[in-house]
Amino acid sequence: MRHYELLTVLKPTLTEEETRAKVNFLKEVLEKNGAQIAAFQEMGTRRLAYPIEKLERGYYSVFYFTAPTTAILEVERLIRITEEFIRFMSVKYEKTKELAYWNRQVEKFASKVEKEVKIEETLKEESPKETTTQDLVSEEVVSVVETEVETEEVKATQE
Amino acid sequence: MAEKRKYARKYCKYCEAKVEFMDYKETKMLKHSLSERYKIMPRRLTGNCKRHQEMVELTIKRARAAALIPYVVNTKQVIATPFDLLNQ
Repeated sequence: MRHYELLTVLKPTLTEEETRAKVNFLKEVLEKNGAQIAAFQEMGTRRLAYPIEKLERGYYSVFYFTAPTTAILEVERLIRITEEFIRFMSVKYEKTKELAYWNRQVEKFASKVEKEVKIEETLKEESPKETTTQDLVSEEVVSVVETEVETEEVKATQE
Repeated sequence: MAEKRKYARKYCKYCEAKVEFMDYKETKMLKHSLSERYKIMPRRLTGNCKRHQEMVELTIKRARAAALIPYVVNTKQVIATPFDLLNQ
């Protein structure tokens, strides 16, 4: 089992349901081939740096997972066949420093997913008044964390 | 006597920021090492150390393949503010 990251770019012309279906399709393929998905990062639709197949935009999504080497071959084969994927990029993380970064990314995005799930649960369980306040609080926390990260990055770049 | 230096001494910005790993999805990090036309800047101009220059090369090439950074910016496809692409 090795640590991987798989970035895929989907056509922007698909509807929301179709993109979700494609992402789920990837997920299923990965899990079928013995991969354990650690985190999923949604980058959303963004401008491509250059047109691909005459398209200006693309829907970006990233999977972080551990998998045996044969899984990558199979997934890449399927991505190449499927027309909706206009670009993909799989990166192997091997060195300790790389793995540290991988773990950090996984924590970052896995925790976000957990938070969302928790919010949904609280919405179901508790009365709407309380949940609204909780929602606000959790959102604030997330935004604070994000701004902190951004400032760090800015510092790093400025320095 | 040696002449006084006119400009500040060049140093590796990535060393100062203690970058251990560069993610090709974070294109802001690569800004120092790209020219206006999105060429990879040489080490003699940026002052990057060898280790970080090699990391920069790899990450820029990955980002290009993933369509996060353009391969070329020429007169045919002019972008008014080229570095806005990085700040998406």
